[in-house]
Amino acid sequence: MGTVQAPGVYTGAADVIAALMLLLEFGMLRQALIRDQIRLYATQSALISVLAVVIAADRGIGDLYALAALSAALKVVAVPYLVRKLLGRTGRDEAAGVAGSYTIGVANSVLGSIALAAIGFFCFNSLGIHSADAPGTALAIAGGMVLVAFGLMIVRRDVASQAIGFFSLENAISLAALVVAAGLPLILETAFLFDLLVAVVVFGMLIRAHHTRSDSLSTADLTKLRG
Amino acid sequence: MSAALPIPVIQLLQVLTVAVAAPGISGVIARIEARLQGRIGPRILQPYYDLAKLFRKEALAPEGATWFFLVAPVVAVAAYLTVPLLIPVLTTYGLPLGYMGDILGGGFLLALASFLVATAALETSSPYAQLGSSRAKTFSAIGEPVVLFVVFTVALVTGTDLPYALAATVRSSAAQIVRPAHLLASAALFMVILAETARIPVETHSGTNEFGMIDEARPFEHSGPFLALLKWGSQLKQLILYTILADVFLAPWGLASSQQAGSVLLAIVALLAKATVLGVVVAVIDNSFAKLRLFKITEFVAAAFLLAVLGVFTLYLGGG
Repeated sequence: MGTVQAPGVYTGAADVIAALMLLLEFGMLRQALIRDQIRLYATQSALISVLAVVIAADRGIGDLYALAALSAALKVVAVPYLVRKLLGRTGRDEAAGVAGSYTIGVANSVLGSIALAAIGFFCFNSLGIHSADAPGTALAIAGGMVLVAFGLMIVRRDVASQAIGFFSLENAISLAALVVAAGLPLILETAFLFDLLVAVVVFGMLIRAHHTRSDSLSTADLTKLRG
Repeated sequence: MSAALPIPVIQLLQVLTVAVAAPGISGVIARIEARLQGRIGPRILQPYYDLAKLFRKEALAPEGATWFFLVAPVVAVAAYLTVPLLIPVLTTYGLPLGYMGDILGGGFLLALASFLVATAALETSSPYAQLGSSRAKTFSAIGEPVVLFVVFTVALVTGTDLPYALAATVRSSAAQIVRPAHLLASAALFMVILAETARIPVETHSGTNEFGMIDEARPFEHSGPFLALLKWGSQLKQLILYTILADVFLAPWGLASSQQAGSVLLAIVALLAKATVLGVVVAVIDNSFAKLRLFKITEFVAAAFLLAVLGVFTLYLGGG
């Protein structure tokens, strides 16, 4: 097999940002404290705004600057703030159930997620979307990220991590959307962003309800039915 | 215009630069670390004085140790001094002996040296030396896959596994630097270097507690010139690894592209500057993080592995 040619600088930068987002996803997977997970999520969301700016500068799409600003305001500031607020006291004093909520060990879950990422990379890359406008690598990374986010929601047995996993899944989808369909009308993108807010509120209420019922954020004891 | 140096002289200079500068780089790191901690710290030349003192001292071997115990440090240093022939230390063009071995060849030499030192430590009946060599081998074994994946990245990028080829590729365009595979592999290699040179978060470089020691515990039973060789050897290894990271991966600029004495001299200065910058980064890391518990070191190496594997994924499965 021959050498793999380097894409241009802009595409390379987009790929690097996507790769950093995937690394942060792995960080969330193995992070024990909910406040650190929220911090990682905010960083990941900030990166996607940076990526939007890079793509906007590269292709001269003015709409994307607005989207980057809106996305930053919503996902870097509002969503983390809301999640912290909704977690309330439970989030502040690191409620029981978040740390060590692994169904399998840390090392195993990371190894499993590497395999998931490989599947995601492979599947998205073999879609064969290779045009000047869509950096194939960033798309493949987004595919890997979607699966790792799913993995995160599966291996962590606490509602808070699952919520964060869901929000970062949305980040992965945004990443894929950004690299494939950067020219999507602004109104649609904005609508998707506000969908996320609904999810945050729903998840917040679920977390609150679960915490008042079982005094823990762990979902381990939901397997038993209570009369 | 300055005079052109004959090729063999440049080749000798590569080895001499590393051999002479290695203790100095250790001295610089120790000094910066001390300043960051608010201490004045030892002189930068202190490692040279230490080596000179040890070379003058009498050598003792523990009872029951064979000739191997004394030969190992000599061969280890010889192996370390062979590596600068294979990597771009001063020149952008391959020197005649530069193609004797590829990255794997250099890796084999480093592994041979570390194997010899560990085996010599086993020759003694000192529990700490044996503990150190057993740990050193364990952790270098788990670090090995990371290095392999970094080599795969290099191979996918350049089509060869020659260090000169990767340095030339990185120099060729900015697009080669700003690609995830290159940055991920470089980061993974840096983490491996932290582990291999016995730095925080894997090991305290100046610690005196034997239970936390890995690499530092191995030369416990050596003395005199042999201890000096082992100390010099680990300083050589450190500078060699820094050179590989700087001259092959991160910043292969400032190397001589001709045989002019002036540009070779400039390359020596550039190498020392790059190694010092890396040393400052390492010293800052040394001061900012705590040492990991022994059983957490695998997680550190696993993180490096993750970076290296993702680097290969982006190339092989992601096509970029």
